[in-house]
Order: sequence, then C-alpha cells, then structure tokens
Amino acid sequence: MNAAVPSLLSLIGGVPAAPGEVVVEATDVHKSFGRLEVLRGLSLTVRRGEVVVMIGPSGSGKTTFLRCINHLEKIQSGRILVNDHLIGYREEDGRLVEDRERNIARQRQDIGMVFQRFNLFPHLTALENITEAPVQVRGIPKDEAFEMGRALLARVGLAAKASVYPTQLSGGQQQRIAIARALAMKPTLMLFDEPTSALDPEMIGDVLEVMKELAREGMTMIVVTHEMGFAREVAQRVVMIDEGVVIEEGSPEHFFTSPTHERTKAFLSKIW
Amino acid sequence: MSWLVAVYQYDWGIFFRSVFQPDGLILSGVWLTLSISVVSQLIGVLLGTFAALGRMARLAPLRWVAGLYVWFFRGTPLLVQIAFVYFGLGVTGIYRWPTFDLLGVPIPGNVQAGIFALAVNEGAYMSEIVRAGIMSIDRGQMEAARSLGMPYSLAMRRIVLPQAARVIVPPLGNEFNNMLKTTSLLVMISVPELYVTFSNKNASGSTVFHPFELFLAAAVWYLLLTTIWSLIQARIERRLGRGLAGSGDERPGLRGRLFGSRLSRDPSLVSGGR
Repeated sequence: MNAAVPSLLSLIGGVPAAPGEVVVEATDVHKSFGRLEVLRGLSLTVRRGEVVVMIGPSGSGKTTFLRCINHLEKIQSGRILVNDHLIGYREEDGRLVEDRERNIARQRQDIGMVFQRFNLFPHLTALENITEAPVQVRGIPKDEAFEMGRALLARVGLAAKASVYPTQLSGGQQQRIAIARALAMKPTLMLFDEPTSALDPEMIGDVLEVMKELAREGMTMIVVTHEMGFAREVAQRVVMIDEGVVIEEGSPEHFFTSPTHERTKAFLSKIW
Repeated sequence: MSWLVAVYQYDWGIFFRSVFQPDGLILSGVWLTLSISVVSQLIGVLLGTFAALGRMARLAPLRWVAGLYVWFFRGTPLLVQIAFVYFGLGVTGIYRWPTFDLLGVPIPGNVQAGIFALAVNEGAYMSEIVRAGIMSIDRGQMEAARSLGMPYSLAMRRIVLPQAARVIVPPLGNEFNNMLKTTSLLVMISVPELYVTFSNKNASGSTVFHPFELFLAAAVWYLLLTTIWSLIQARIERRLGRGLAGSGDERPGLRGRLFGSRLSRDPSLVSGGR
C-alpha cells in the first residue's frame, strides 16, 4: 500500500480508546422468534483488535446473534457485554429488564453495523449519510464532521461522490459508504452482516479491500460472511454456528485443513 | 309559487364584479377561507403525525387513545362535530369560545371553534395517511439509524419521516384541497368565509336573489384557491423527490394534477408508490 495514503482509523483519530481486553462477551444467549428458538445458548468472546468470522448455514442464527450484539433484537436469556457493559438490559435482582431507549441508543453509538442491504439513507447525499449521526448524535460541529466525512469518502475511493444520492451509486459504492458511515461514529467494534452477499461479483473486491484494511489497522470486527478468502487473509478466528450454538471454532487454517465437526465439513464442502 | 316560473333575470355584471372587482366582503371571505384552511391543515398534520405514532407505539394505552381518537372523528360527520364543538360546548358553558386576541387581531369564537373542529377532524384522517407513509419505509432505515446510536424519536424525525413525507404529500395535497372547500361547512356556525359571504349577498342587499351569478362566482374563487394549491403541491413534491429514483420524471404534469382522479380517503389507497 502507498505510504502516502492515511490509514482508515487515523481519519477517525486512531483506534478508539476503550478499556479492557475483552470487547464482546456473550454468555449462554437464548433468543426465540415466537416458538422458534434461534439461539440456544450461544457463547462467544471477542478480544480487542480481533477479527472473528462467523460462518454457518442459513437459519443457523449467526445474523440474529450479530443483531443481538447491538440490541436490534431482544434476547430471552443470557448476557451480552460489550466493553464490559450489559447490552440492552439492566440487571434487577438477577433478572434482565430491558434498558431505557436512551441508554440503549448510547451503547449503540460505539458499535458500528454494516448491513447486507446497505440501508443508506436515500434522502441524504453520500456525505450527509456519513455526517448525519456524528452531527445529530455525537454533536460534532458540522464543518468538522464534513471534513472527516470527505476524508473517509476519499479513503474508500469515492471522493467524487460526496454530493451524490445513494440510488445513483452501485451496490459496491453504497456498501463502502455504509462502512464509512459506521466508522464516522468512531466505534470500538464493527459488526458486518453478510456485507458482500447482495453485491455483484465484480463489486465484492472493493468492499472486501476496505474491510481488510480496517482489520489490519486493528479494528475489532465480527463478520458474518461466506468469503473464506477474506477469513483466511485477516481473521484470527473462525466460528462455525449451527442450530443456534457455536459448534466449532479455531484459526482459519484449522477450518481449511482439519475441520473436526461433521456438520462443519458438510457446510464447508458446499461453499467452496 | 308564481315567482318560480317567472323568467330569471341574469345580471352578468354581478358575476364579473364578484370575480374581477371583489369588494371587501368577498376579499375578507377569501382570506378567512384560506387562513382557516391553512391553520386547520397544519394543526391536522401535527395531530395526525402524533396519532400515527401513537397507533404504532409500544405502549398499549397510547395505542388505545390514538385509536379511539381516529375511530371517533372519522366515524362521525364533520357537520355534527362543528355544531357540537361550538354550540354544544358553548351553550353548556363547558367552553364559551370567547374572542381571543392574537397580537392585536381579535379572533372570534366561532372562527376558533371552526378551526378546532376542522383540525381535529383532519388529524384523524391525516393519521391514517401518515401511518401508511411511515409503514411504506423499509424497516432497514430505522435499524440503520438506530445502529448509529439515534434514539427512536431522532431516527423518526431525521430519517423515517422525511422519507415518508414523499409518500404522504400527494394524499396530503388532496386533503388540503378538500379542506379549502370543506371550510364552507362553517356556514353552520356563521363564520363569514367565502361561501357565507356569497350566501349573504344572495339573501340581501343590491345583489339579492342572484344565486346563479353569485354561486358561480363563489365556485370561481374556490377554483382559484385549489388551482394555486395544485401548483404549490407540485413544487413541494419535486423538492421531496431529491435523491429518489425516478424523481422529477414520473410526477404528473399540471394537467394531470388538475384533472386527475381524486384519491379516496381510504388509507389502503393512499400509500402510493415508492
């Protein structure tokens, strides 16, 4: 990489400071949609700077788990801590009580999320998409936010698109803006929910490249994806989820060379 | 009954003077119709937005209150509501509608009561329109906003409602078009708006009993107001279309909006396309 190109994280002031070594600690998480139990006691720990790739068949619960981490979904039991704070709930006499809206919103500020379908705001320009939350939520002065937004846009290769609306952009361009939008909040953790699944094949590379740079720069990331090339290159750990629990975890090498679980083998044979 | 068969004496001068040289009474009638419509509609949009949010609220009591409001005011005639609000509340002394002084301009009680009834009634209809607009926005928008740390109210105000506005404005335009004309029901409580002005002219004075010319002129004035509104609405829609696919090209031309079919008040029909 060109030395003159600033790192992504330098544009948001370096790796956001946060205490502790453990970023995510999920313990025995249960989640049901009606009578369908999607998560059946899932536990996972993610350390600072770690990149964890979650794989598993569709319906296994990996996306649901990701959404539980920033409380887009409620959980029925278990604990999810991010930066040592219980997410979405208060504990009262050992029971979980859903937290107040404001507090949950406050917690989400530090957790970036990138969606499969981008979910850019169509009534705002590319630049405004990035600056909206920093200005409205963090209270950053507009000019400062715009400066950071432009730098981020330039860094993901879209400097010329600042005043363009999302519908005029390709999927790959939209997803890179979505990543910049999440980064602009200076998160300590980034969640990616199948970020390349809705993209045409020729657009996947650009998005993965941005994600790889983020990973190398030390951002803590949980990525739901089937891009095993990405996992091999930057993930410290791959986690195989099936039927709502972690059935196998290990280094990418482990998954490439000697997966132990039958269901892991069956799943991997399908995606390669 | 012999006067009924007598030949009607047309006086086109009355029509042309009423349209092209309106006297103070007509102008104040036009002004009253316009201002009552604008104020009632604005309050109606606000009430409707809150009622729509109420109906989608997580708290059940909020949903009940909003549902009750919409049920009652959509289920009873506006004319009855107007009469009840002014006479019913006034005569019993529950609220006598005293003249209100707005920065030196006295607002008579019947005008206040009229605005109140029109606004509350309009709010009930607007709530369905706003609700349809909000529901037309992809859930992912709210999720993306909240994942960026926006509380519900901020996400609603900055992300969802601005997008819903594009869906809301066309039926809202119909509502305001209706509002301009519906103010004529205030004849019930003697608000001297456009219709009452012409009705009075027909009842007494130099133009007595010229209903053909007078009410034709009244129609022209209403048509002028609704036509100007159509033009304003087209501008608003163009502005709201920014950044959305196909905006600017698909909107109906002036002819389409003046002569196009009137949308039903049925909320299932007002959701519009995205």
